[in-house]
Amino acid sequence: MVKLEDLKKEATQILKSGKVKYIIGYAKGADGFMPIPTFISDPEDVENLTWNPACVHNLTKFIVDEKKRLKKDKNPDNRPIGIIVKGCDSRAINVLLQEKYIDRDDVYLLGVSCEKTGVVDEKKLAKTLKGQRVVQIDFEDNGNFLVTTESGSEKIPAEDVLAERCIECKANFPVVFDIVFGEKIKRQVDKPFQSVETIEDLSQEDRWKFWKEQLDKCIRCYACRSVCPMCYCDECVVDTISFAVEPDTSAEEKAQKIKWIEKSPNLSENIVYHLTRAMHLAGRCIDCGECERVCPLDIPIRFLNKKMEKDAKNFFDYEVGFDPDQPSLVSSFKDEDPEDFIR
Amino acid sequence: MEKILQKKSFPKWVEKLDAYEIYSPVKKDNTWSYEIINTPGDIELDYPNAVQAPKKIINPQREVFLEFGRSDDDTLEVTEVLPEEKSVVIFGVRPCDAKALTLTDLVFSEDIKDNYYGKRRKQTAIIGLACNTPPSPNCFCTSVDGSPHSEDGFDILLTDLGDRYFVKSLTNMGNDLINLGKGLFVAPKANEKKELAKIHADAEKKLKRQVNDVEKIPPKLKEMFESAFWDEESMSCLRCGICTYLCPTCHCFDISDEVTSVAPFKGYRIRTWDNCQFPDFTMHSSGHNPRPDKASRLRQRIMHKYQYFVERYDHYQCTGCGRCISKCPVGIDIIEVLNKVRDYG
Amino acid sequence: MDNENVYLPKLAKIINIKDEVNGARPIKTFRAQLLTETNFSHRCGQCAMVSVFGKGESMFAISSSPLVKDYLQFSIMKMGRVTSSLHSMKEDDIIGIRGPLGNSFPIEDWKGKKLIFIGGGIGLAPIWSVLQFALGQKKDYGDLILIYGARTSKDLVFKEELEELRKEMTVHLSVDVEEEGWKEFVGFVPQNVTDKKPSPKNAIAITCGPPIMIKFVIQALGDLGFKDDQIYTTVENKMKCGIGICGRCNIGMHYVCKDGPVYSWAELKELPQEY
Repeated sequence: MVKLEDLKKEATQILKSGKVKYIIGYAKGADGFMPIPTFISDPEDVENLTWNPACVHNLTKFIVDEKKRLKKDKNPDNRPIGIIVKGCDSRAINVLLQEKYIDRDDVYLLGVSCEKTGVVDEKKLAKTLKGQRVVQIDFEDNGNFLVTTESGSEKIPAEDVLAERCIECKANFPVVFDIVFGEKIKRQVDKPFQSVETIEDLSQEDRWKFWKEQLDKCIRCYACRSVCPMCYCDECVVDTISFAVEPDTSAEEKAQKIKWIEKSPNLSENIVYHLTRAMHLAGRCIDCGECERVCPLDIPIRFLNKKMEKDAKNFFDYEVGFDPDQPSLVSSFKDEDPEDFIR
Repeated sequence: MEKILQKKSFPKWVEKLDAYEIYSPVKKDNTWSYEIINTPGDIELDYPNAVQAPKKIINPQREVFLEFGRSDDDTLEVTEVLPEEKSVVIFGVRPCDAKALTLTDLVFSEDIKDNYYGKRRKQTAIIGLACNTPPSPNCFCTSVDGSPHSEDGFDILLTDLGDRYFVKSLTNMGNDLINLGKGLFVAPKANEKKELAKIHADAEKKLKRQVNDVEKIPPKLKEMFESAFWDEESMSCLRCGICTYLCPTCHCFDISDEVTSVAPFKGYRIRTWDNCQFPDFTMHSSGHNPRPDKASRLRQRIMHKYQYFVERYDHYQCTGCGRCISKCPVGIDIIEVLNKVRDYG
Repeated sequence: MDNENVYLPKLAKIINIKDEVNGARPIKTFRAQLLTETNFSHRCGQCAMVSVFGKGESMFAISSSPLVKDYLQFSIMKMGRVTSSLHSMKEDDIIGIRGPLGNSFPIEDWKGKKLIFIGGGIGLAPIWSVLQFALGQKKDYGDLILIYGARTSKDLVFKEELEELRKEMTVHLSVDVEEEGWKEFVGFVPQNVTDKKPSPKNAIAITCGPPIMIKFVIQALGDLGFKDDQIYTTVENKMKCGIGICGRCNIGMHYVCKDGPVYSWAELKELPQEY
């Protein structure tokens, strides 16, 4: 098991030695049991670090943020950033490396093992506990979570409250790290695409009905895009205006920005948004499931990405985020690639 | 007007409202949402609160202002489009969300009137449900001049008394709705009034969270415009639109033209929700952006609600519903931010 | 209950288009006549939302004097979607106009005072209406002075009108850098202000131009002894509704579209710098 004290010790050390400029990790939130992302530059604050099954966030998005800040900074501090990564998060790092968005020297990776389980799904947990207020949740041996509520502690089988992505996770241990905490425990996943297969099994009609209902709910808050470490484009197809405007950008250039997607949050525009995003994540999504977690309307966005992941695996034997040196899915070609879908 | 309605008579009352378009909280997948219901049985009032406030009915995310196009002889034609004339009832509105409408009223009818909002507001009756227990762990209405049984913005307020509702009509529109159910309502007895008072008093004690000395915040904010505080607090902000789109009081919008056909030329001018957390919200055509980073945008959200709105309308533009806290992907907690502001420096 | 629909533009026909400035940032002056209504009455400094249907709306200062009833005038720099499309329009084309919007210069309070107009580039347009109005009511005001400049002589707007203006008031022009044949001041507008030393005595200064110019003009005026409430300027922010509802142009509690765009420096310096 990850020993929080070890993690804190390492964090203090790398901050004190100046090896990293700051550390992105998890800290206790103001209220409730859900931790919040924290940014620690003072070794004194390392005390706030926490690690438990509610550390759901994929913090690598903040590396992307930092990269963007540095680009604008006239005197950038280019020291690495320390960041805590779970298995899925570490695969996001690999994709960012593969796409040359970051260099390996930009980050100092503090890997944490998800052990046998993974992270919790807040909604499942609430359902299981029938409204009891959770105070704390911890990893336990034997695949259980120890949940402390206002009325006491109880052991809950992790599988009952595990995030969907963790149920289908193929690597519950970081694939890239500078130092790692916790043990690598092999876990058998028989059906890595089970969730999406339940949708695939529906008739075309039912599938259309399902997606129509789901995507009709979208309010275009773009939280799915905002939280995604792979959605790092300076300008997105849904943005109404060009962000890359310089003082000498011509009026024509601005005037001719194509509106790929209108602002109307209706079904047709919502579909274009979500499908465009899914396509742009083909071969890039590492299934951290953050898009689905943050969606305030509970749209099962992950299915779309999972479908891409499944097709990449089945058609091209491509898996995302395990090797930063592999050629990317959409920009590489092999003789044996199937082409029967080209008509 | 105060009445008692037996819960078993509730569907009978709703049946009498067949001339109205009726919205009620409905459970969809895992979340509650205000939807048009077809039969009284679809109304569920045993619910916490909807993810989206009923503002989405009064101030829909997309509103068509006008239609434009060119006729066969190439003449430009512009036609005004107004909301459909109809009578609407919304059931199950929580006090925070109803109060939010009264705040939006201030903005949409300060002196220049917005006909679209005005019309929808006027033709919609708001039937509330007092909160006997806080619908969200992050409720803090009592900190911002609200309460679990506040009557602001309601035509009728229902309070659950177990097998009955205590029904209080607050407007003529409310009286009319009750009169449609004549015979179903009876006058409350003294003990029922007592019961009501007790439930209301107890409900206030059940709130878990609060912002103390909230009145100290507006003057404090005024001194904090340049503060590094906003950089620190916004570090984890993802610049998504959840906090503002789910907020019952946020009302900012965009106006844009959508061309649906190039030949013949045809399209709509529409209003859509917009929000201060998106970078394009304030960016000038020149590329200059007065709010260039997430720190300035978080500052705007907090200052608008707790300083500018107070200065302009003498109310906090926040009703303590807790949605922005519960749904923030990174746990930015307005209660925590406000408490820190109050104690800052 | 029905009052006027504030979002419904009045249709107007473009009756005249004049090229003011060419080059990468061209400026054209448009005159437009409302198709049906004739009682559009604005005050000096007010703005209007101009629509190109299918492209959208943008807010512009009305540069014609309220005394002119035949048309509304806008001087518009080609900047983005709406302005590019306006620049490609011809006479007789139809646009939409919503307004008048915003506050205005307190010109009534300035009676008997000397008025100094200080503009840079396209910034002459928002103060042109008040300048024209004061000129039309010349007997009500003291001396009228214009200090105006641009990067080069080619970037000056209203060139012909400026020559006419010289007959009626003092006009000091400037260009940023030396150029052949230029006989007037060379240097930035604030430097020209310092050079011409207008006296603050019973005077009001009205300035508009690029933000950086406004900043230094205010400094220069301050050095000459102008008090904060003797200096007026106009502010610009991104706008959509124009009526203080949509929430994007605010500076503190002020909505520039409704409570502005005209501010005295005394008022503006109290507001956060978010424009």
